[in-house]
Amino acid sequence: MVRWQRGLWLFFLPSFGLLAVVLLWPLAYAFYLSFFDYYLGSDERSFVGFGNYVALLTEARLWASMWTTIIIAFGSVGLEFVVGFALALGLYRLHGSAKVLSVLLFLPHIVTPVVASLFLKWILASNWGLLDATLLTFNITPPDWLGDPFWAKLSVIFADAWIFTPLIMMVLYAALQGLDHALIEAAQIDGASNWRILRHIIIPALIPAIIFTISVRLMDVFRFFDIIYVLTGGGPGTATETITMYTYQLGFRMLQVGKASALGVITLVVVAVLLLSFNKLLNRIYRAGDI
Amino acid sequence: MRKTDNFARRRRERLLVFFALSIFTILNLVPLLWALLTSLKDPADAFTIPPTLIFEPTLEYHRQVWLENDFVRFLMNSLIVSAGTVLISVPAGSLAAYALSRIPRRSAGPILSTLFTIRMFPHMLLAIPFFVMGSYLHMIDTYPLLILALVAINQPFTIWLMHGFFLEIPRDLDEAAAIDGCSSWQAFRIVILPLARPGMTVAALFSLLLSYNEFLFALVLTGVDTKTLPVAIASFGGEDITSWSLSAAGAIGIMLPIVVIMLLLQRHLVRGLTAGAVKG
Repeated sequence: MVRWQRGLWLFFLPSFGLLAVVLLWPLAYAFYLSFFDYYLGSDERSFVGFGNYVALLTEARLWASMWTTIIIAFGSVGLEFVVGFALALGLYRLHGSAKVLSVLLFLPHIVTPVVASLFLKWILASNWGLLDATLLTFNITPPDWLGDPFWAKLSVIFADAWIFTPLIMMVLYAALQGLDHALIEAAQIDGASNWRILRHIIIPALIPAIIFTISVRLMDVFRFFDIIYVLTGGGPGTATETITMYTYQLGFRMLQVGKASALGVITLVVVAVLLLSFNKLLNRIYRAGDI
Repeated sequence: MRKTDNFARRRRERLLVFFALSIFTILNLVPLLWALLTSLKDPADAFTIPPTLIFEPTLEYHRQVWLENDFVRFLMNSLIVSAGTVLISVPAGSLAAYALSRIPRRSAGPILSTLFTIRMFPHMLLAIPFFVMGSYLHMIDTYPLLILALVAINQPFTIWLMHGFFLEIPRDLDEAAAIDGCSSWQAFRIVILPLARPGMTVAALFSLLLSYNEFLFALVLTGVDTKTLPVAIASFGGEDITSWSLSAAGAIGIMLPIVVIMLLLQRHLVRGLTAGAVKG
C-alpha cells in the first residue's frame, strides 16, 4: 500500500506544474518588479529598493483609496450579511415553498457581473435611469446617484450588495438545512422566543458557515473591479477609487508597472492581516461560547 | 387551547414571511426586468418621464446586436476561452485533488490551506506580471495567454472543490483495486473516475462560470481579435443614450445562456458554493 501511494506524487505534477508556471512565477516576478522604477515600454529599469513602497505609503492618493476600499468593503459585506442572513432565515421558515423564491432571489448572482452592473447603471443613471425617471414624474429632484461623491459610494455598495447578497443567502440557507430541526422544535415547545432560538441555537451552529462567507466576501471585495469600472470608473474624481482601481490606473493607464506591483503587494498584506485578525476575533468569540 | 393558538400564530408568521420575501424578490428583480424591457423598446420609448411600461415590443435590437455588430465573434471568443480553461483546469485539478485525498492527512492539510490562502491574493497583482510578460512574448491578444491566466486563478478552487468529492469515495475501493494488481493510475481511471463524474460536473460548471464572466484579465490581456463578451459590452456605447436599447439587447443576450445552464444544473450549484463552508 505504501509503495502504491508513492506513485501518487505523479498525480500532482500537471496541476502543480501549471500553478508554478502561471501563478507562482508571475507572482514572484511581480514582487521582483515592485523594487524597480519601471515604465512599460521604456528600455531602462532602475533598481530603487523600497522606493516604490515608500513613495506609495507617503502618498495621499493611496490612503484615500485605502479608506474608500475599507468603507465600501465593510459597508457592502455588512449589508450583504444582514440581508442575506435574513433572507436565509425566511427561506428556512418557509420549508418547501421556498424553492422557487430561492432560485429567483439567486438570479442576480449568476448574471455576469459586468452585465449586472450595467443593469444597475440603467436604474441609477441620471435623468433617464428608471429611478430618476420615476422620481422626476413626481417632481422630486433626485441626487446624482453616480456623480455625487457621497451617493456614488453608496451606489457602489448597493450594487455590490445586489450582486453578492444571494451568495451569502445561499450558503447560509444550505447551512441552515443541515441544522438539527428537533432541537429547534424542542425549544419552541419549551416556549423559547424566536429571538432566543436564533441567538442560542441557530447562530452558534452556523458559525463555521458565517466565518467562511464573510472571509470569502472580504477577500473578494478587496479585489472587486468590474462593478466599479462599469458604474463609476472610480469617479467622480477619485471618490470611488478603491486600491484595486488605483492599481489598475497605475499599471494599465500610466504604465508604471513597478509602482503598481508594489501596490499589489501592499494590498496582499492588508488583506492577509485583515482576514487573520477577523478569523482570530471570531474564533475567540466562538470559543467563549456566547454571542 | 394553547397549542392551537401557537399553531395559528406560526401559520400567520409563515404567511407574513412569504409575503415579505415575495415583495423583496420582485423588487430585487426590477433591474433585470427593466433591462429586458429596455431591450425590447425603441429608443423613443426608452427615454421618457414617466417611464414607459406599455409599448410595442420589438426584437429589432436583439437582431441588430447579434447580426450587425460583432457580438457573434465575441461570443465565439468567450466560448473558446471558457472551453480552454475548463479543459485544462478540471483534469489537472482532479488529478491533484485525487492524490490529495489519498495521501496522509498531515501532508494534505498544509497543501490545502496553502491553496485556500492563494485564493485571497489580489488578482491585480497577477494581472500586472501577465501583462508585462505577455508584452515581452508578444502574446497579448492571443487565446492561450488569457486561458492560462484564468487557469491560474481557477486552479486552487478546482482542487479544493474536487478534493471534497474524492474524500467521499471510500478508500476501500482503491485498496481493492491495488490488491487486484491495479497501478494507481489504473485504479484512478477505471474505479474512481466514473464515480467522480458528478464532482467534475460541478467543477466544470464553476470554471465555465468564472471564465465566461471574468472581466479584469479579459480587459487587459485581450484586444480586437480575442475580446470576450463582458469586455465588449462594457465598452459598448455606455454613454450614448440612444444606444441603450442596443446594449440592453446585448446584455440580455450575454446573460441568457448562463442563466439557462445554471437553472438546469441548479442542484450542483449549491454544492459548489458551499465547498469549504462545511469542513471537507
